[in-house]
Amino acid sequence: MKITQILLRLRYSSLGRLVLALLGTVVAICVVLLVSAQSDTYIANAGAMTIAILGLSLLTGWSGQVSIGNSGFMAVGAFTTGIWANHHQSSPIIISLLLSILTGAIAGLLVGIPATRLKGPYLAGMTLAFVTAMVPFIQSLGKLTGGSGGLFFANLSSPSWFANLSGDPQNFIVANYRWAATVSVVITGVAYYFMSNLFASRAGRAMRLVRDNDVAAELMGVNLGRVRVGAFVISAAYAGLAGSLVALLSGVARADNFGLALSIEILSLLVLGGIGTLSGALMAGLLAAYASTLIAKLNALFGLNPYSNLGSNSQGIIFGLLLVVTMLTAPQGMAGLLKKISHLRARKEAE
Amino acid sequence: MGAFFTSRIVSDILIGAAQGVLVGLIALSLVLIWQSTHVLNFAQGAMAMFAAFCGMTMLEHGLNYWVCVLISLVAAMLLGGVTERVLVRPLYGKAEINSIVVMVGFLGILESGASSIWSGMARQLTSPLSQTYFTLGSKTLYLSPFSLFQIGSALTLMLGVAALFRFTKIGLQLRASALAPEVSRLLGVRVSRMLTLGWIISSAVGAFAAIIIATSGSGLFPSNMDGFFVFGFIAAAIGGLESPGGAILAGLLIGIIQTFVADYLSPSWVAFTPVLILVLSQLVRPAGIFTKNTTRRL
Amino acid sequence: MQISNLTVRYGAIEAIRDVTFTAMPSRITAVLGANGAGKTTLLRTISGLVQPASGSIVIEGVELIGRATDDIARLGVGHVPEGRGVIAEFTVEENLRLGAMAFDIDLAAGLDEQYQQFPVLGERRKQYASTLSGGERQMLAMARALIAQPRLLLLDEPSLGLAPLVAAELMTTIRELCATKNLSVLLVEQNAKGALRIADDAVVLSVGRVVANGSAAEVASDDQLRQYYLGLVQ
Ligand SMILES: Nc1ncnc2c1ncn2[C@@H]1O[C@H](COP(=O)(O)OP(=O)(O)OP(=O)(O)O)[C@@H](O)[C@H]1O
Ligand SMILES: [Mg+2]
Repeated sequence: MKITQILLRLRYSSLGRLVLALLGTVVAICVVLLVSAQSDTYIANAGAMTIAILGLSLLTGWSGQVSIGNSGFMAVGAFTTGIWANHHQSSPIIISLLLSILTGAIAGLLVGIPATRLKGPYLAGMTLAFVTAMVPFIQSLGKLTGGSGGLFFANLSSPSWFANLSGDPQNFIVANYRWAATVSVVITGVAYYFMSNLFASRAGRAMRLVRDNDVAAELMGVNLGRVRVGAFVISAAYAGLAGSLVALLSGVARADNFGLALSIEILSLLVLGGIGTLSGALMAGLLAAYASTLIAKLNALFGLNPYSNLGSNSQGIIFGLLLVVTMLTAPQGMAGLLKKISHLRARKEAE
Repeated sequence: MGAFFTSRIVSDILIGAAQGVLVGLIALSLVLIWQSTHVLNFAQGAMAMFAAFCGMTMLEHGLNYWVCVLISLVAAMLLGGVTERVLVRPLYGKAEINSIVVMVGFLGILESGASSIWSGMARQLTSPLSQTYFTLGSKTLYLSPFSLFQIGSALTLMLGVAALFRFTKIGLQLRASALAPEVSRLLGVRVSRMLTLGWIISSAVGAFAAIIIATSGSGLFPSNMDGFFVFGFIAAAIGGLESPGGAILAGLLIGIIQTFVADYLSPSWVAFTPVLILVLSQLVRPAGIFTKNTTRRL
Repeated sequence: MQISNLTVRYGAIEAIRDVTFTAMPSRITAVLGANGAGKTTLLRTISGLVQPASGSIVIEGVELIGRATDDIARLGVGHVPEGRGVIAEFTVEENLRLGAMAFDIDLAAGLDEQYQQFPVLGERRKQYASTLSGGERQMLAMARALIAQPRLLLLDEPSLGLAPLVAAELMTTIRELCATKNLSVLLVEQNAKGALRIADDAVVLSVGRVVANGSAAEVASDDQLRQYYLGLVQ
C-alpha cells in the first residue's frame, strides 16, 4: 500500500517520471527474459499497441477529439519503415523508427488541419473516411507499396551479444523473440516517458481544458486551433511509431492489416483501460498483451474451432461487446473502476 | 440526339446518378436519426448490411427476390427499433464521445457477427431485372432496366419519406419530437415512441440501399457497406446533418463527381474524392451547405 | 389538485422544500414568489419533467408522481412553459395541430374555436411561428394548450415580456377562460399585482417554501407579504 503510494507520487516531478519509466522498463525487460518465447511475441506486439493507444489517449482522452482513423497513421509508419528497409538494408532501426514518426506526424498535420475545424461526429466521420480511403490508396500505389500483397523485408534479429546474454547462444530463434520484445518494451518506455511529461505540461493542461470547455479555454488565451492540430500531430506521430514497430516485428507491411478493424481494436482497448488517464492507457496496453491469448482461451473454452466462421471472428465480436458494455456501464474504464475502489477503501479507512 | 445520350459526359452522369441515389439514401438514413436523436449512427451501414443478409440469403433457398427484400426490410425495422431501445436510449444527454464509441462498437459486433454467421465471402444476388445496358444504335446508353429501377425506387422512397414527414399526423409528431422534445412531451406526444419510429424508418431506408448495392455491385459481404457508409456520411455532413434534402442532393453530387474522377483522372483517387469534398465544404460552410446559419450552442 | 410534502432537489440544491397546498377545481390559483423561489420547478414537477425527492401530487384521485410527462399531459394537464415553447419552425396551424394530436377531439372544431378566441392566430395561421411577436406567441402557446381541452392549465409567467396593456388583457382572457371552460388554472407570475387581480387563491413561495397560502384577497391585503415577498408597495 505504502509503496504504491510512493510510486504514484513520483509522477508529480519530472525526475520522478523518469524514474518511473526506467523502473517500468527494467521490470518489463526482466519479464521478457523470464517468460516463454511465445509470450514474448505477445509482449512485443502489445508494446506497439500501447504506443498507438497512448497516442489515441492523447487525442481522444485529453483533447476530446474522437478518432477512428489512427490505424491509417499506423499504416503510414509501417510503409515508411518497409520502403526504407527495402532501400537501405543495413541502416539501423532507429532511423526507420524516427522516419516513421516523422511521416506519421506529417500525415497527422495534413489530416489534422482540416479535421480540427470539425467537431464531434463530423471529426470522427472524417477520420473514418480517412482510414477507409487509406487502404485502397496504399494498395493502388503498385510497386512502391507492393499493392495488395504488401511489402516484405527483414524483421528484427538479435545481435550476437544479446543472444549470448539471454542464455542459449545456439538458439537464435528464441533470442530473436527476446530481442524483439526487449526493443519493443524499451521503445514503449521511451514513448511513455514523453507522454507522461506532456501530460503534466502546460500543453497537456491546455488540451484537457479545450476538451472540457473550449469556450473557457479560448477566453483564457488558449489557441484552440493550435492545441487541436498539435494533439493530432503528436497522436499521429505515436501511431506512426507504433506502425513502424508492428512492421519491424513482423517483417511485413500490408495495407489491410491497418484498416478500420485495427482502429476499433485500439479504441476498444483504450475505452476498456480508461479514457483520459495515462494509467488507463497502460492498462489498455497490458490488455493488448493478453487479448489474443484470452480470446484463444475463450474459443477453447466454448469448444470453438479457431478457423471456423465464429472462431475466427470471436475477437471482433468480443471487442465490440466490450466497447459497448464498458461505455454504457462504466465509461471511465478499468482505471476509473480502480480509482473508485481505492476511494471507497480510503473512505473506509478514514472512518 | 442519340450521340448526345451516349456521349462520355452523359454516360458518366448516368452511372454517377445511379450510384449517387444510393449514397443519398444512406445520407437520408443518417440525417433522419441525427435530427431526432443527435446520434451519428456509425453502425448504420453495418445494420443495413446485417438486415440485408437476414432476408437476401433466403434467395439461396429459392425464395422470390422481392419476398427476400420484404423480409430484409422487416428485419431492418426490428433491428432499428431494438437498437434504439437497448443501445441508444441510455446515451441521450450523455457526452458525444459516448455515443460515437458505442455505435462504433456496435459496428464491430455486426460485421464480425455477420462474418461468423454467413462467412466473409461475397454472395452474388441474382438480379430480378436485367443489368445489361441499353444500346442506341451501335453505342451503349449507360442505363439498364435495373439501374432505372435503382434510380426510380430510390427517388420514390425519398419522396415517400418526405411526404410522411410533411403531410401525415405521425410526420408532424416526428418533426416536433426532433425539434422540441420537451414541449412535445408536454403536449402529450409520445416522444420516445417517435424516436424509436425514427430509427425504424431510417434503418429500413438504409437496408433498402444495402440490398440495391449488393445486387448491383460486388455482392453481399460483411464489410460491403463500409465504403458507401463513408460516402453517405460525407453527403450528410455536407448537407449539414440536419437537412434531408441537402443530404440527398449532396449524395447525388458525390456519386456523379466520383464517376468523373474515375473516368477522367484515375480510379485510385475515387476513395479520396469525397474526403476532399467534405474538407472543402467544411472550410466554406462549417454548418453545412444547405443549412441556415445557426449560432454556436454553449 | 393536492400537493403534499413535495421536496425537489437538483443535486445539493433544494429547489422545493416540503410544499403542501391544494388547488381547487375551476379556480385560478396564483403561485407567486421572487426569482429562484421554485415556481418553475413546481410546475415542471407536476408535469413530470422533474422527479421529486419525496411527496405526492394527486389530481382527481390519480397520483402523478412517477408518471411520464406525455401520460400526465394526456390526463388533462396542459402546460404552457416558461418562454412559451412554440415551435418556431412550425406554422401557427401546425403548432395548434400538434397540440391536438394526442387527444381524441374534432380538430377542425378545435381550430375554429381557438381562432375565434384568438383572432390574430386565425389571420396568421399559415405564418411560421418564428415570425410572430411575443404577445402573439403567448397566445399561440395558450391556444395550443387549450385546444386539447385540459382540465388543469399550468401557466408559467404568461405576462413575461409583454407590454402592461397586453399583459392585462391576457389576464382578463385567462379569467374568462377559467369561468367558461370550467378550467382549473395554476398561474405562476412575477407580476403579482396582475395575477392577484384575477386569481381566486394564492400561494406564496420563498426559497422553495410556502410562506403564505390563502384567498387572493387575503394575500393581497397582507402588508407584510406585500412588502417582503411580492415587492408591492402602496
Ligand atoms: N436544472 C437545474 N439544475 C440545478 N438547479 C436548478 C435547475 N433548475 C432550477 N434550479 C435552481 O432551483 C431554484 C429554483 O428555480 P426555478 O426555476 O424553479 O425558480 P423560479 O421561481 O421559476 O424563478 P424565476 O422567477 O426566475 O423563473 C433556483 O435556485 C435555480 O437555480
Ligand atoms: Mg421560473
